[in-house]
Amino acid sequence: MNAEGIYDAVVIGAGVVGASSAWHLAQAGLSVALVDAEGPAAAASGASDGAVSVASKKPGPLARLATASLLYTRDLAQGGPLSSAYHPRPSYIFGTGSAESAAIDALIAKLAQLGTAVRLRADGDATLLPGVGTGIDRVVALEGEGHMPGYAAVQGYLREPRIDRFWPAPVTALEESGSEVRIVLGTQTLRAKRVIAALGTATPRLFPTLPVLPRAGQLFVTDRGLAGQLPGALTSAAYLLAKTTAPSVLPKPPVVIDPLATGQYLIGSTREDHGDPTRVDFETLRELMLRAVEAWPALRARRVIRAFAGVRAAVSDGLPIVGSAPGYERVLLATGFEGDGICLSAVIGREAARMTAGLSPDAALAADFAALSPARFAQVQEGAA
Amino acid sequence: MFNPEILIVGAGLAGVAAATELARAGHPVLIVDRAARAGGAIHRQPLPGQAGVATAAARWNRLIAEAEALPIRWAFETRFNGVDHQGTALLTGAENRMLRPKALILTTGAREAVRPRPGWTLPGVTTAGAAQIQLKTMGAAPQGRVVLAGSGPLLIALGAQMTRLKNPPVAIVEAGRPFAHPLTSLRLPLGYLREAAGYMATLLAARVPILTGTRLAAIRAEGETLVSTLTDGNTSREIVADMVCLHDGIRRNDIGLTDCPALSVLRLGDCAEALGARAALEAGRAGGRAMAQALATGTTPTAPNSPLLDRERAAQARLARIYAHDDFAALHSLPSDTVICRCEGRTLDDLRALGPAPRTRELRLLGRFGMGPCQGRFCGEWVARAISDTPQAPVPAHPLGEPRWPAAPIAVADLHAAAPDTGAAPPHPHGVHE
Repeated sequence: MNAEGIYDAVVIGAGVVGASSAWHLAQAGLSVALVDAEGPAAAASGASDGAVSVASKKPGPLARLATASLLYTRDLAQGGPLSSAYHPRPSYIFGTGSAESAAIDALIAKLAQLGTAVRLRADGDATLLPGVGTGIDRVVALEGEGHMPGYAAVQGYLREPRIDRFWPAPVTALEESGSEVRIVLGTQTLRAKRVIAALGTATPRLFPTLPVLPRAGQLFVTDRGLAGQLPGALTSAAYLLAKTTAPSVLPKPPVVIDPLATGQYLIGSTREDHGDPTRVDFETLRELMLRAVEAWPALRARRVIRAFAGVRAAVSDGLPIVGSAPGYERVLLATGFEGDGICLSAVIGREAARMTAGLSPDAALAADFAALSPARFAQVQEGAA
Repeated sequence: MFNPEILIVGAGLAGVAAATELARAGHPVLIVDRAARAGGAIHRQPLPGQAGVATAAARWNRLIAEAEALPIRWAFETRFNGVDHQGTALLTGAENRMLRPKALILTTGAREAVRPRPGWTLPGVTTAGAAQIQLKTMGAAPQGRVVLAGSGPLLIALGAQMTRLKNPPVAIVEAGRPFAHPLTSLRLPLGYLREAAGYMATLLAARVPILTGTRLAAIRAEGETLVSTLTDGNTSREIVADMVCLHDGIRRNDIGLTDCPALSVLRLGDCAEALGARAALEAGRAGGRAMAQALATGTTPTAPNSPLLDRERAAQARLARIYAHDDFAALHSLPSDTVICRCEGRTLDDLRALGPAPRTRELRLLGRFGMGPCQGRFCGEWVARAISDTPQAPVPAHPLGEPRWPAAPIAVADLHAAAPDTGAAPPHPHGVHE
């Protein structure tokens, strides 16, 4: 901070988006503080499955930004902050029945439009990936995606020593006056020229008019096993359908089987419209595991050793919110990524830092960033008022 | 409509006592246990054809005869995997299903604490509690040269039981100095003194060396044998054995056992407070009656209390003073490659790499402590002590995070066979003791 005790920028939220923003600000030579109500990766980032996936993104701005972020994540993994966090691996989508097969066709068309970052390596039946259940009609193999646990990415960014840290420190007020923002942390107050608010599920506390809602997801972890190692994430095509529909439309949660570096499996995930991380139940576990075993029968020999729920911040229209915060001149919002923050965090952090430093976003991405602006809710807010 | 059962987890003294009281009050009761027979840890019954090692057999025989005359349903070789927020419990094993019980009573007993030290994960190193269960089940002492080490009355008891089964331990290594507190000892209840005197007479007659004020600092493997390094603070010596049984006290066993807003949950016996057999029997009976009362009046049951429980509490506090030691301070001077978390193979070095005061989330996500199948049941206390400036001081109940299910790992194959509760009658009529 400068002689008057004012930071160039304060980032609120030490999840993967906030940590990436703080790292990029520090690289630009700005003085920066990172604040969190609990600590690093304490919410959705710490509970994520870690899939860096373009395939699962909604077509349009989100898929284009995800593609740019995937490419940039790979750069940051070459000796940069993500070098021990990001690992490339193949990914597989499986489907049964005509609706899921159509979703896979749409995916292939979407990936072709996005360029060569994620390529279709193979498209066939269950024999394409030895070990897939015989009841599965179609499997596609993709290359170019990877795995990055949220807490590992946050840890990577926080190795940067020029980031001041404040936690546990919930922000109780955010006051802008003239050329300064005051970030009130209970009894302590930080002063900054600019703020990036990567608030996640805490967004409604400071911005109650924005339609950011908690969306919980149950996740289950198995023990290790020698047999049945899956080379990459195996995702139900129903998941692609789920990403474009409201959670209540799908009666059963689509399954994602994620092989962890430890040799364990992470099985997820539901999308439930509440924010209670203690709501984890046996019937959902059984439902998900039944479908997981249909797709990957080797799981039948494993044991489930851990069950938990992560709470994501979801936006009513399914797109994140990135842009100037309503009611503020000097606060940039970067929130509402639902499950997409892991993949998007590299590019969002870079561009949020650019905008905070007074630069315009990367020209190639400017239109896509415009689609994420909180201004899209302005009419809703006026209507509500 | 079918009247849902009260689920009791653990068929030891507390569980069976609670079951009898509830069954007598007219409630349908299902009692489950991982073991093949009722008895718990204290009254573990021998395998068919093996001679038992009776501990206060009359007490158990009276209780089990009373219970078997009542309409209680028993499910052995059945694991309780936990209860979820909706009030659904999962059972796997011989009885494999989900159920929504009317109430839940947890009598899962105690667990054993074993302080990490170099070599504690070697083959041939086990816990004194596990060795005693084996002895009671098989009716025979462990074979070969056996060292019992750590601290607490269980070492003396197991040593005497092994001696009576013709294989006395080569040494009992006790970190405390229990014989240096004769006045405190004399204020223990008569039953405790009589039991201890019996064990001591057996050990003295067999000339079993009892080394007090002595720590077992490290174990190393040499060929087929285990060499233990003992230290009394001034001098060190080595002792050779085929098997080492460690024991550093008992703790309540409550990892993975959650409360549930949809259900009355009562913890009784050692899983509520490790006070031993007499207290477990008393708390089981009183807790069973309290639950029956609460169900009749639609209130929340309260944990039992009585003069006997107060006396047992005082006796346990005296035992703790008699066996007081400074062994846990050794955690700070262990070699840095000593394994702390056995499930994930994490060492003291891995713990120190997390910095001076790691939070629970960092311990778990970055350190991987408490992330294995035991959910921190065994390593949580040692992680907390090792990162504390005062390793001897009491530690928080759940240093690696609040308990959550599964209480025991869930085999995926069992999960598939576990049909959800449809509100229909249970698979077997009540009163069948299988």
